This record gives sequence, C-alpha cells and structure tokens, in this order.
Amino acid sequence: MIGNIFLTLALLAGVFTILMYYLTYKGFQNTLGYARISYHITAVMVMAASALLLHAILTHQYQYKYVYDYSSSDLPTGLLISTFYAGQEGSFLLWALFSVIIGLILLDYTSKRGDLEPRVMMVYSISITFLLIMLNPLLKSPFNYIWAEPTFVDMKHINTAYLTLPALQNFIFSDPQSNKHFIQISKELYTILLANNIALDNFIIQGKGLNPLLQNFWMQIHPPMLFTGFAMSSVSYAFAIAALIKNEYKDWIKQALPWVLTGMMVLGLGIMLGGYWAYGVLGWGGYWGWDPVENSSLVPWLIGIASIHTMLVQKKSQDRDGSSRFVKTNLILCIMTYVLVVYSTFLTRSGILGDASVHSFVDPGMTVYLFLIIFLVLFILIGIGLIIYRWKYLTQHFTFEENVLSRELALFTGSVALIASAVIVLVGTSAPIFGQTVEVEFYNELNLPIAIIIGLLNGLSLILKWKFTESNQLWKNSRFAFISSLVLTAIIFAFSGVNNFMLVLLNFSSAFALFVNGEIALSILRGKRKHLGAYVAHMGISLFLVGVVATGGYSKHQQVDLVKGEKVNLFGYELTFTGYQPIEGGKKYAFNVSIKKGNSIKTVAPVMYIAEFNNSLMREPDILEGITKDFYVAPISYDETNATTNPSVKLKKGEKYSYKNVEVTFENFVLPEDMSAMMSGGKFKIGVNLKLKYNGKTEIIEPYMETTNEGPKFYPAESKEADLKVFINNMNASDGMVELTFSSLSHNNEQIPPKEVLTVEASVKPFISLVWIGVVVMVLGFVISAYRRSKESLV
Amino acid sequence: MKNKYIFGGAIIVIFLGFMIYLFTQTNVQYENNFVKVIQSGKTVKATGTWLRERNYEYDNQNKIFSFYIKDDNGNIMKVVYHGMIPNNFESSTSVVVTGKYSNGVFQATDILTKCPSKYQEQAAQKARS
Repeated sequence: MIGNIFLTLALLAGVFTILMYYLTYKGFQNTLGYARISYHITAVMVMAASALLLHAILTHQYQYKYVYDYSSSDLPTGLLISTFYAGQEGSFLLWALFSVIIGLILLDYTSKRGDLEPRVMMVYSISITFLLIMLNPLLKSPFNYIWAEPTFVDMKHINTAYLTLPALQNFIFSDPQSNKHFIQISKELYTILLANNIALDNFIIQGKGLNPLLQNFWMQIHPPMLFTGFAMSSVSYAFAIAALIKNEYKDWIKQALPWVLTGMMVLGLGIMLGGYWAYGVLGWGGYWGWDPVENSSLVPWLIGIASIHTMLVQKKSQDRDGSSRFVKTNLILCIMTYVLVVYSTFLTRSGILGDASVHSFVDPGMTVYLFLIIFLVLFILIGIGLIIYRWKYLTQHFTFEENVLSRELALFTGSVALIASAVIVLVGTSAPIFGQTVEVEFYNELNLPIAIIIGLLNGLSLILKWKFTESNQLWKNSRFAFISSLVLTAIIFAFSGVNNFMLVLLNFSSAFALFVNGEIALSILRGKRKHLGAYVAHMGISLFLVGVVATGGYSKHQQVDLVKGEKVNLFGYELTFTGYQPIEGGKKYAFNVSIKKGNSIKTVAPVMYIAEFNNSLMREPDILEGITKDFYVAPISYDETNATTNPSVKLKKGEKYSYKNVEVTFENFVLPEDMSAMMSGGKFKIGVNLKLKYNGKTEIIEPYMETTNEGPKFYPAESKEADLKVFINNMNASDGMVELTFSSLSHNNEQIPPKEVLTVEASVKPFISLVWIGVVVMVLGFVISAYRRSKESLV
Repeated sequence: MKNKYIFGGAIIVIFLGFMIYLFTQTNVQYENNFVKVIQSGKTVKATGTWLRERNYEYDNQNKIFSFYIKDDNGNIMKVVYHGMIPNNFESSTSVVVTGKYSNGVFQATDILTKCPSKYQEQAAQKARS
C-alpha cells in the first residue's frame, strides 16, 4: 500500500515538474524553485519505493504478488537482489530509479550551463513520467497485493500450520494432470485470514522462485547496465528537443556529447554482458542469436553510435569556422535513439512478440499494450513534429557541401552504414508483428557487408583530413596499414583454408582499421593522451570484429558420446568422462570431463539438473577458456544403461540387419489363415518370417506374437547353428514394421557392468576471447572520450 | 550537399534492395492451421500444443526426437527433430516448430517451447471446470 502511495506521489510530482519547468521556460520568474523541489520529490519517492520493494524481497513478503512471482526464500542475497528486476514491474521500477538518479546529475549539469535547465529537464521529466504512469497501481505496480486478483498458489508454498483451517477447504483446487494442489488466494480468503488473525506473509511462506537460467552473476548486472543505458538515451533526446524548442543548434552538441558517449558505453557493455551470459549459460555455444529481445536493444545502440560520429563533425566544424554541419542528422539521430528505446520496450513488453522470442515477457494485458503505443506515438510526435516545424529554418541555415576526400564525408558515410544496419535489424525484429519471421541468415548476410564497409571507413576516416585531402597524400598515409592487413589476411587465409570470401574481406577490413588506429594511437601515446579515446574504441571494435570473424568462420563442433573411462579424440584433444558428483547440496550434478592436450590435463564440469522451478532438465555448459581458443562443452544427456551387446532394431519388410556374422532379413509377417478373429478382436497369432544367412547357409526362423486375455504375448525364436536368439519387442502389422532384439545363445549369461555414457556437444571456438577483449577495449576508449568531452562541454 | 546524398544514398539504396530480396528469401510465416502447413510444403513456423496423450519418443541411438502436436482445430501432425529434447519440453503449454512438412511428418529444424508463468493458474482453472 505504502509503496503505491510513493509511486503515485512520484507521478503527481513528475507531472507538476513538467508544468513548472514549462512555465519557467515561458518566462515566469518564481517557478524554477518549485520545479526543482518537485523534481527532487519525484526522485526521493522513486528511491523510497525501490528501497521498499527491495526490503519486501529481502524479508520475503509474499503478500506482494511481484515478490511471490519472482523470488523465493532459498535464494542467496545476491540473487535475491536481482529478483528486483526479474519481472516487468520491477524492471520498470529499476529503469525509473536509474532515470531519477541520472536526472539529479542532469539537473545539476544543466543548471550550470546557461538557460538549458528548464527545457532539458522538462523533456526529461516527460520520459520519467512515462515510466511512472506504467508503474501506477492500475497498470504495472510491483506493490499490488496477491489477493487483489484471484491467484492460484501452490500448496507447497503455504504454511502447513494453516492447511487444516476448515474455512480454507473451499479454496483448494487440484489439477489431476500434474497432480498439484493449489490454494486460490482471493479477497474472500484474505478476509477470512484477517478474521483469524493470520498475516498473509505468514500464510504464504515460499515464492515461485527465480528462473534458474537467470541465476547467474552476469544476469545480476546485465539489466542494471541496460536500464542505465536506456535512461541515458532519454538525455540525448531531451537535449535535441531542447535545441529545437529554442531554435538554437550550436551549443547542445558540446553539452550532450559526454552524455551520449557515456550512455552508449553503458548500453553497449550491457548488451554484450547479455551476450557473455548467453555464451556461458545457454549452452548453444554462441553469444548472439539475433533474438528479437537482444536485437531490440541493439538498434538504439547502433543509432546512438551513428549520432556520436555526426555530432563530432558538427562540433569540429563549429570550432573551426563556425559552420554547423549535419545539424538535421544529429537532431534526428538523437531523437531516434530514445524513440527506438521506447519501441524496443514496446516490442519486448507488450506481448506482441509472443511466440517469436525466447525472452519476451508474458502478455501484460491490453491496457499496458495501449499505453506503450500511446507513449511511442507521443515521443515520435514531439520529436518529428518539432523537426518538421523547424525544417525550413534548418535547411536554410545548415546546408553544406562536403568533399569526397574529407573526413566529414567519411564519418557521415560510416554513420549511414550504421543506420543501414540498424534498419535491417529493426525490420527483422519487427517482422513478427506481421506474422512473419526472418531466419538468422537474414541478419548475418546483410550485416557482413556493412561491417566490411564500417571497418574500411573506420580506417580511412582517420587518414583523411578534415575538409579536404590530396589523393596522393591519402595513399602515402594508408600504405603501411593497407599492406600489413593484406599480408595478415593472406596468412590467415592460407592457414585456415576458409572459403567464405565475405569473411576474408571482413578480416581484411577489421585488420585495416586495427592497423590505422594502432599506428595513430602509438604516436599519440607520447602526446595528448586524452585524445586517445576514439582510437582505443576503434581498436576495440576491430578486435571485436576479428573475433567475430574467427568464431563465425572457423568454429568446429561435434556431438560425442563419452563412455566413462574411455578416451575419445576430438579436434586434437583427448576427452575422458571420469564420472559425476552432486554439487550445491545435491541440487545439481557436475559431470567431469578431463581434457588432455599435449601435456596439460584440465577438467571441465558441465552441469545437469532437474529444476524445481519449471520441472525440467536444465543444462549448463562448461568452458575451457584460452586466449587463442575456447573449448566449449555443452552437456546433452547422461545414460546409465545395462549395456548389453543385444541390440534392438526396427526393421521394415525386406530390410536387412547384420548381427555378428549372421545376416538377418525381415521377409514378411505370417498372418493367420482365418483373418476374422483378427478383425473381430478374437485371439490370433502373427509370426515374423526372418531369413538368416551365415557361413553360406540359409535358414528361416519365425518368432511370433499371440494375443491373450492379458494382451499380446511375444515368443522368441532361435537358431543353434547361427548362435542366435531373436525376441520381438513390438510389431505393427499395418505399418509393416517390427522391432527385434538379437542375442547370442552362447554368451547369454555374461554379466556386463553398466555403461555410463555422457553425451556432449563439444566445440572449439578460435579467438572468441577477442570478442570480449574487443568489448573491454572499446569501453575503455569510450571512458577516455567521455572524460575529454565532459571537460570540453564546460566552455 | 550532393556528395552526402550520393554516398549515403548509395548505401541506403543498395542495402534496402538487398534487404527486401533477402527478406523474401528467408522470411518464414507463422501458421496455426496444420492443414495449410501440410499443403504448402514450404518452411513455416507451425504453432500448436504438444499432444501429451501420445507422449514423445527419443531415439537415443540416432538422437531423433519425435512427438505429436495439434492445432486449435484439432488437426494432428507428427514432428521429427534431429537433436535433443529441448529443456522444459514437458512443461510447455505451446510449441513453435520451424521446418517443413515432407513424407508424412513435419521435419523440424528448431523447436521453441513456451512456458508461461500463468501455467499453474491455467492448470488449476482446468481442474475447476
């Protein structure tokens, strides 16, 4: 209840903030103070609500439906904290929390820079208010009580002390299919409990728990990162709108750049943390599956990165001669970054992707769907509306021609390539709305050439000078990088024998970017270190791309059966399954596989267990990580069979099977003379005619089935000379198929110890480490750049 | 101005064309009517529910997983998938299989199971009725 009051107050204060800032912008003298106080009330209320939810989770207050749905009492503290954002309501609250905190910094930042504050904070408050509307008690509040709508709670989660309550019997339901029993928690029951002095959090003593896939360190920090990035994308939106409102387009670039840089750094890192989680947990062996939910956060990132490059051109040209280039591009890109964040939210949370994505949230209902659409349209209308409104002015004042051989044009073209990539991902991701889906190839084949162009432009743009470059100068400066990359690519190509021409090109273009940036970075190291940012970030992206090429083009994988104690050679490794042991208090099982390569022996232990959460088999891969390659082992199944040498096979009419040195042919069924018994359900006998061939001899034997009152009974047949006994396991005369088991007469009494077989998918992923290293280096570059630009923004 | 449009425009036009072409090549439609799935013979994403009564089969030797699904109109078809049983298959409420129908069975290349958290409530409601 109190949590909902906090959220409602925050919402009211948010609306008041927008109004007060608007009046301040309109010239009222005394409203700024109110606006600030009101904003702080919003911030404090959201923080208080977050603290309250966290407290409810940590103290297991299952009277809140959200806490019941996503957490449980047996989770360690770290994971308990992460259940805060395991569902829609909590993750909206987390987004709001980061938004208000960032807003406090933004308020301070804008108040020190001219007349920015009212305009920027007004727009920014609209985006916070949007989140608070989504969080209100009628839509998606995490503070709604479990009894507000009738909810079925598993009997296991109820305090057994109260199960004998006579009044409770009317609320018990059973599901014969799963043999589960539920208590329906509703207003009526709540009233009854209240009358009996039973507190609800004492009545429900266990929650549904957290999806085991999310019980992972990376999943604890991935959502906070992502939402910080989302929150920061509304900052660049606010700056762009503020510029349009005032019809003044010079200063906002400098002021917004550090925000855009930081936001995109955090968002990019957040996205790739998700990739790292997928690689380490999901077991399909990759880090990016082009899943709609992954994609929908990638699209705004690509647009944001494009905006950084064109914003840099505008800043440079203003510093140089006061001409502002790419003004329209910058406004549109900054607006689109946030609009696409909202669109991404709509896709993943409206239920519209339902079947298309593994991770999309469950259907939240029509109201939420409608509100998300309203907001999406609102933010598009505000942004695009203002641009159209100012279009004439913008075209008159900011139209320039760029030379072909200029850094400006190269940066612009690079941004266009990024935008093209974003459009492709957006189209593929939105396809399910129209009942279509695209295959993974769609993304791969389209993004590959774009990545090649981006790599080349990445190198070229740095060799090209601002405004104009002589063509002979261009060759002189790029000679070293060009030839080195050519040589490197040729070497890699020769050794790997990869046959995909596009991958070779991408390899070349990433190497080119790497050499150009490396060369410049080295020469700067002694000079202005704070100028290193871009070069470091570009080296990061080049390393990342090289890693993508290596893993995408050169990975090998194979499914193998590992019999306990038996060595298996695969990809130059020697694998031995050595047995399994229970871990985590017997909840899971680790299957140990020792891996020998040369003289080093290491052990990986993939895990399998039945999760109580969803009652199904969960598999966790284990990885032998290395700089040059990873050895990835994903468990598939484990069988303990009393391995007999008696194979079972299904045979169709006329099919042959060889057992030891006997060739067995299934000739035909021997049907009863009188078919009437078979037709009328009486007793009958069907034989299976088998032709044996061994040592040049031929023999016919006939195992058969007879119907009895207890169902069908099967009789084996044997041949002493062929040392063979054949059992029928099953037959289907209408399909003309029979399932037989063969055994040897002389070895019948051999005791064979059970065989333990672990089936795994093992793969070698060359240089996947470069993917992660690349991301880290890129983030480092962003940090340097953001630092430098924040220093410049004060001027 | 002109150069901007030439370079930017070229990229956009080329990739838009390429994208539309690839979209028509790789797009796969959702289909919840198995009669259409069986007739079309094209790659589709068929959505239905797993027929629990007929259980599923897993051929350990060849790693072939097969089961039956039915659509809303009660049409039933057999699905054959070369690979392992997806996690949480048993608790799935609906199944999306990607592939095409040939030789009397639906040859799946991908299986997606949906296990809404509302499952328990639905189950319980069924129990009431």
